[in-house]
Order: sequence, then structure tokens, then C-alpha cells
Amino acid sequence: MDIIKMGNISKMYKSGQIQVEALKNVSFTIKEKEFVSIMGPSGSGKSTLLNVIGCLDHASNGSYELSGNVVDKLSDSKMSEIRNMFIGFVFQNFHLLPRANAIKNVEIPLIYRGMSGKERKELAEHALEMVGLEERMHHLPSQLSGGQQQRVAIARAIVGNPSIILADEPTGALDTKTGDLIMELFIDLNKKQSMTIVQVTHEEEIAEYGNRIIRLVDGEIVSDESSGGILNV
Amino acid sequence: MQSRGNISSLLIRLKFSAMMALDGIGSNLLRTFLTVLGISIGVAAVVSLMGIGEGARKSIVSQFESLGENVIVIKSNAENITFDAKEAEEIPSRVTGIQYTTPVVYTQDTPIRWRRDESKMNIVGVNEQYPQIKDHKVLSGNFFTSLHVKQRSPVAVLGYNVANNLLNGRSPVGQTLKIDGINYRIVGVLAEKGKDKGDGIDDKIVIPYTSALKIANTKDILEIWAKSNSSEDAELAMIQLGRIYQRKVGIGSNIRPGNGQEEEGMEPDMPMEEPMPEEPSPEVPGEKENVFEKGEEPLTITSLNNLVKEADQANRIMTVLLGGIAAVSLLVGGIGIMNIMLVAVTERTGEIGVRRALGAKKEDLLIQFLLEAVYVSIIGCVVGIILGAWAVTIVSKYGLSAIVSFDSIRIAVFVALTSGLLFGVYPAINASNLPPVEALKRQ
Repeated sequence: MDIIKMGNISKMYKSGQIQVEALKNVSFTIKEKEFVSIMGPSGSGKSTLLNVIGCLDHASNGSYELSGNVVDKLSDSKMSEIRNMFIGFVFQNFHLLPRANAIKNVEIPLIYRGMSGKERKELAEHALEMVGLEERMHHLPSQLSGGQQQRVAIARAIVGNPSIILADEPTGALDTKTGDLIMELFIDLNKKQSMTIVQVTHEEEIAEYGNRIIRLVDGEIVSDESSGGILNV
Repeated sequence: MQSRGNISSLLIRLKFSAMMALDGIGSNLLRTFLTVLGISIGVAAVVSLMGIGEGARKSIVSQFESLGENVIVIKSNAENITFDAKEAEEIPSRVTGIQYTTPVVYTQDTPIRWRRDESKMNIVGVNEQYPQIKDHKVLSGNFFTSLHVKQRSPVAVLGYNVANNLLNGRSPVGQTLKIDGINYRIVGVLAEKGKDKGDGIDDKIVIPYTSALKIANTKDILEIWAKSNSSEDAELAMIQLGRIYQRKVGIGSNIRPGNGQEEEGMEPDMPMEEPMPEEPSPEVPGEKENVFEKGEEPLTITSLNNLVKEADQANRIMTVLLGGIAAVSLLVGGIGIMNIMLVAVTERTGEIGVRRALGAKKEDLLIQFLLEAVYVSIIGCVVGIILGAWAVTIVSKYGLSAIVSFDSIRIAVFVALTSGLLFGVYPAINASNLPPVEALKRQ
């Protein structure tokens, strides 16, 4: 089943007087259980692509379907719901609420779903167990290491059982060893929990953890290869 | 079921927004404190100033009550202007609308002897119409009669407290009391008027003015009280009285409220009066000094109606002043809130982005930041009311009558909440309108 279906997506920005085309007719699909790395140098449009995939921004042109939902013309409010239901975000700098403990942080997506406290707690505990942090549920972010904070963020991303985990440079703020552990967690979630993962990275070694690498240059896909070999361009 | 589910999920989100707002004001306590201070100073100003205003109003009201309804006081402030008893008696026939009149004679620190106890007391000398003029009820016995007055009889009517103290609550009617060395028969006791009311009559002794003149060793009556049927009559009577006494006092003298009817060229034998300083009469309660202001006038005619007008005007000025203070405090406190909220939104832009990414809608953030502003104003309000009440107690300790009125608290709460909402809206809208992508970028 196709989780992401992008057809001729382009995105234009106005930067001062100049029109910048950040994405040019990008088309691809991502199937369930894939672990995709999107790579490209800065300015290649990978962040823009991530924003469009994450329903944080609309494309200027083209069609985008996420888990069967056409999101091209959805309202801001509907986009919020789509993000909440179908996407689990993982950020470079973790972005946890500093004055809430781990379990409270993990509960947040469920709060916006309107779930009751008891249900939330159970799901959040389960998610924290999945990332191996059941011992530190009541710690504040400041009491956790960077790797542990990122694990809390990953628990927050998976707690609502989204269609896709969207990670923006998930190891960017971590040392290599901790970064590798996070990647192993991703592989674990991908293999054992059958989660679909899309990550944006500029590190070749990190990208290699995925089973498919999409390379962007100047807003265009220049290669799209799975670990099995070149698929299509 | 569906709608119930929606409502409960809405409540869950609302609760979270409220919690996040609390978290927000807790995140920088010093800043919150300073913002709260801005609001609370404004609220305290409103509460304390309105308290002082209300206290002033209350004291004017008690002056009304001491004067009595539709009572006109004709008072000489100059030694050479005096009235005689006949003059007072003639007023009802000369002035339309006047029903009752009495000369009023005060004595001060008159020696009183009750059995073996000696004391000094203030005595009021009036005629038999006094109870009608001041709406006094006689509790036991009777008020003295016109015959008593004419015959300068040694009879006395006691104020409620005076009577109570003599025989521990039993009626002293029929007993005798020595006033200035002469035995007076107690013929009646007046009903209680209450503290600070009715000129403090509860603590006074009332005797015929003829007797009082004797005690005071004078023939000069300096004060006449007249009672009209209605406030319209009182107004009319004031004008007529003004005319009558204009003649008596002389040209150019400004008699209130007879101004506008100044007639020239009358009574050339009366010299132009140099205003005489008013002799302070301890008999007159201190507050009356305000009532009979402009002591430089040789003769004043005062009625409740004038006082009502003056009090009205004073109240209006007070209201305008307080309105101004409330508006300024709203502005200053509100600007403080707006300032701090704009900073808070800027500071938490990244957080806003993350929350949007996790599924927060615009409303969630709007409510959060609006509530944060309202929290600040609520805290400011509570602190301000406490500060204001404290200021009121201090002020009233120094003799100014001031009270914390419910009105002032209501206005303060309204003003503070309005300013919180009003000035919190813009930053909150700013927060909710941040595009998620932009917000995330600014981390």
C-alpha cells in the first residue's frame, strides 16, 4: 500500500524580488514499511520536501496523497488533524517541552487527539517502553542525555500509531555513537513494528541505514535507489 | 455520542491549553511579577480612590440625614445679624410652603446635675415644632408645648442615650435634672436616631429655646430652622427667604441661594457688612463646616436641595476622575501585558512550531496565549484588590472616611480582565497565525 504518493510536486518561494523554485516536479511514492533517507546538499530542497511531506506546508503545484488522503487543498485546521493522526515528527533538536516530564511530553499528540488521561498514559508508557525508556518516564528533559531525549521524542512520534515517522536530521545533534543507537532504534521500529520511516539527512553513513535513498539536487530528484539497486529516476 | 465525544475532546484540549498557559507564566517568574505589578497598581488605585470617594459620599449622606429632609437652615455668621423669636414664628405666614419653624439656640458645656452626678453637656434650645422639623419621635412622655416655650418652663426632653444612662434603661420621665443650677422636669425621651445621625441628638438634651437663651445669657438667636412640605416648596421658599434676608443683611451681601435676586438700594441704614469670621460653634458637628462653607458670608440659607446638588456635582467629578484613572490603569497595565506576551510569543516560537507539528490547531495556541494574559490580569486583580483594601484601611486610620465598596471591586475586576483580554488578543493571534514551517525554522 502506498503511504505517500507525490505527483509533479513543485514549490515556489518569493525571496525578495526573486522567485525561487525549491522543488521542481518531484514525483515519487513511498510504500508501507519502507525506510527512506532523503539526501541532498543544503539548498537542494530537502527541507522543503520534508515540510510538504509533513503537511506543514502546501505545495505550489502537483498532487500529494498521504495514506489515501488528498491533502493539496486542505485547510489549516484539517492539516493539523492530518499531522496529528498520520505523521510522527522527530526533530534534530528533539524539541521536548522543557517543563514537562518524559511521559507528559509523549502524551501531547494524544491530547490534541482529545484522548482521555488514562488512555494517554497507557499508550505513552507503552511507547516509552518501545524506545527503552520505561525507567525514566518521570524525568524532565534536562535530566536526560541527548540520546535519551531523542528517544523520548521518538516515543512521542510513535505514540499515536502514525502512518509514517518523519525525521529531520535525527542524529544531527548527537555524537556518532549515540546517533548509531538512534538509527538502530529506527531499524528496530521499521523491522519489528513495521513502521514506515522517512528521514532527511546530509550524512551518507546515516542515510545508509535506510533501505532506499532519494537524492535531491536543486529541487530535483537525481537518484532514487533502494539497497537492491537503482529503481527509477 | 459523537457530539459528547467532541465536547470531551475539546475539554481535554482546553485543559491542556490552560495548563500550558500556567506553565508559561511560571516560566519566567520575575517577568510575570513585574507585569502583575502593573495591573495591580492600577486596580489598587481604583479600589482605594473609589473607597475614598464612597466614604466622602457616605459622609455627605449622613449630613443629609442630620439636616433632615426639606429642612432649611437660616444661619447668621455675623455677630450683628441676629434673629428674634417673632421673626421665626412669622416665617410660615410670610413664606409659602413653609410649615414649621423653630429658633435654635445652642449651649455648650452646660453643667448638669443628676442626683449626685455632675457633668457637662451640650443643650439644644428649640420650640415645640422641633419634632416635626427633624422627624423626631417621642419614645416616652411628651415633647414640651408652646406654653412651656412661652413661659420659659424648666422642662427637658432627653436624647435616647442620655435618658438610657440616667436610670439604666428605665424611663426618667417625671424625674428632675439640674441644668445650670435649676431643676428641670424631664417630660419626654426622644426615640433613638442612631450614631452620627440627627445631629447626634441621642446624646443631647432638648429644652425650650427661651430657657436656653437664659442659660446662654443672651437674647440673640443666630439660627432658625424651617421645614417645607416638599422639595419644590423648599426651593421656592429658599428664593423667598433669600429676598427677605437680603434686605435684612444689606446690599451686595451674597446670600445663598438668593443670588440672582440681588436688589440694590435697600435699607441704607444697614452698613455694608465686612465679612465676619465665623465663630466656631462646637455645637455644630465638624462636618457641618463643609455644609455651611463660605463662612465669610454673613448669613447663609442652606437646604438639603443645595446639598444634593453639591454632592451630585462632587460625585460626578469623582466619577470622571475615577473613570480617567481606570482608563489609564487599563492602558498601562494592558500595555505591560501586551509587551510581555509579545516577548513570550517570540521566545516560544519554536515551541509553537513543534506543537503545531504535533497537531495543535490555531485555536489551541490562541486560547493558550490569551489565557496566559488573562491569568496575569487575574493575579494582578487579586493582588490589586488586597493592596487597595490595605490602602483604604491605612487612609481611614488617618481620619479620612474610606471604605472598600463592592462597586470598586467590580469595576477593578472588569477593567483588569478587559485589559488582559484586549491586550492579550493581538499577541495570541500572532502566535496562532505563525505558519508552522516558519515557527519551526526559528528554533
